Amino acid sequence: MTDTALRTPPRTTAGADTPKTRSARQPAGLRERSRVVKALLNVLQRTWLIAVVFAIWWTASANSTNIFIPSLEDILLSLRRDLANGVIGSGASYSLTNLGAGLLLAVVVGIAGGLVLGETRRLREIVDPVIHFFRSVPQAALVPLIIGAFGIGQGPKIYTIAFACMWPVLLNTIDGVLSVEPTIRKFSKVYRIPAGLHFRRVVLPAALPQIVAGIRVALPIGITVMVVSELFAANKGLGFYILNSSATFQVPETWAGALLVGVVGYILSLLFIVFERRILSWYFKSGAK
Amino acid sequence: MKTQIRALDVGLTSQRLLAVAVLLMVWQLVIWSGSLPSMTPGVPAIATAIAHAFTSTLFWTSLAQTMTAAVSGWLIAVSVGTVLGLVIGSVPILDRSTSILIDFGRSFPVLALMPVVIMLLGATAQMEIFVVSLSCLWPVLVQTIYGARRMDAAVVDTARTFQIPRLLWFRRILLPSATPFISTGVRISASIAILVSVGVEVLSQAPGLGRQITLAQQAQRWDQAFAYLFFAGVVGWGIAGLLNLAEGKILTWNRQTND
Repeated sequence: MTDTALRTPPRTTAGADTPKTRSARQPAGLRERSRVVKALLNVLQRTWLIAVVFAIWWTASANSTNIFIPSLEDILLSLRRDLANGVIGSGASYSLTNLGAGLLLAVVVGIAGGLVLGETRRLREIVDPVIHFFRSVPQAALVPLIIGAFGIGQGPKIYTIAFACMWPVLLNTIDGVLSVEPTIRKFSKVYRIPAGLHFRRVVLPAALPQIVAGIRVALPIGITVMVVSELFAANKGLGFYILNSSATFQVPETWAGALLVGVVGYILSLLFIVFERRILSWYFKSGAK
Repeated sequence: MKTQIRALDVGLTSQRLLAVAVLLMVWQLVIWSGSLPSMTPGVPAIATAIAHAFTSTLFWTSLAQTMTAAVSGWLIAVSVGTVLGLVIGSVPILDRSTSILIDFGRSFPVLALMPVVIMLLGATAQMEIFVVSLSCLWPVLVQTIYGARRMDAAVVDTARTFQIPRLLWFRRILLPSATPFISTGVRISASIAILVSVGVEVLSQAPGLGRQITLAQQAQRWDQAFAYLFFAGVVGWGIAGLLNLAEGKILTWNRQTND
């Protein structure tokens, strides 16, 4: 996990050219070793602070007398126990299914709508205020209304997630469509490329980097709405685990659940970056960004 | 930006109003068709509730409570975020050391912490401000770090050669060059502030618009709930619009168009 974490941010390392010139003069074994040392140093530089934070939390909370602040050891023990006995596992799969379905729905609707609105300027200008209004409606406040109206089942949760995630995808798709090179657009018109082909081969690839960026923005929104929908009313899921633990005064479990949601969110965003690098490899190779 | 100039366009404005009318009509038709649960209110009911809210002191006090929490949390986040971000972004070792922690923090769904935070701080306004500022911190921090990192090498060298004092360097060189990035972070976090403060109120029963929505829903006053939701949306919309305008005005010197 950490390994991917280290590589994900595209940073220009300051001393990138020094090891090369030095290694040319060194024998192969030494070169190999100095590279390992360098990599280790890099890992150390990026991870020491986390170790420190963890250690401080561990020792400072070890003898905590406040019942609301359990020791980190207790939190991790209860996390391990509930991971092992499957309580968290079944909740997580329920939550992640909702998230996946909601996100998928948002992506499909957002891209389709974005392509249409991006291509038709008049329509875009007309509905622009409406879109920005809906996007400004607090997603968390929708949860009580939708769940109140449609019950605590899986469907309402998925729709709420989809509704909240749709707007960044939609707006980014519109921006992406607008970024299509005007000359290429003209070409496609002059040669009378059929609309379907034009969308698939011209507009979609050009807009893809923006679309993916929109989905990346939508992902944490989706996770938040997922948790909130379960915090509000549910009988399953990660949010329900947190809520239930806090309602029954199982304080370490409450902390464990909240931490776990954070870790799951982090892992998902890392996975998404890996996915993004994969499907946009041609784009990153072309030197953009 | 573009819309602002065309706002005077009578044809477009009427078409926009027409679009809203069509939307409302579709809503009403869906209600009449009975495919929505019976408690969802129709357009007239929501409209009356909206009009009613205007004259109720409860609405204005809860709006003020939400705004106070949102604005104070946002201000805290902006001040902490810019200072921290400038320091972290301009010291490479700090930048590398904190990168994983910051990545973790920004992907953390803060609202998931609500039960924990409520346990620790109670359902108070301070708790709400804390959660809002924690959520708003990340966009400001990350954007500021990006901005501080993108210093022009020639400028850095010049400043070093002339031995510019540290404070002057901060104020006159680092801050202006990072400002376009910071302003984007500030703008993003302002909309987050409203979303999160209402969300906190929905979940925690801290006083404000969000709490009124939950209360109205529990009391089966659906028209009221939708009216308050409408106002929450309008506030977020207005703030986003205002900040867009302000950014355009303040950063006219900024050649690069971000966002």
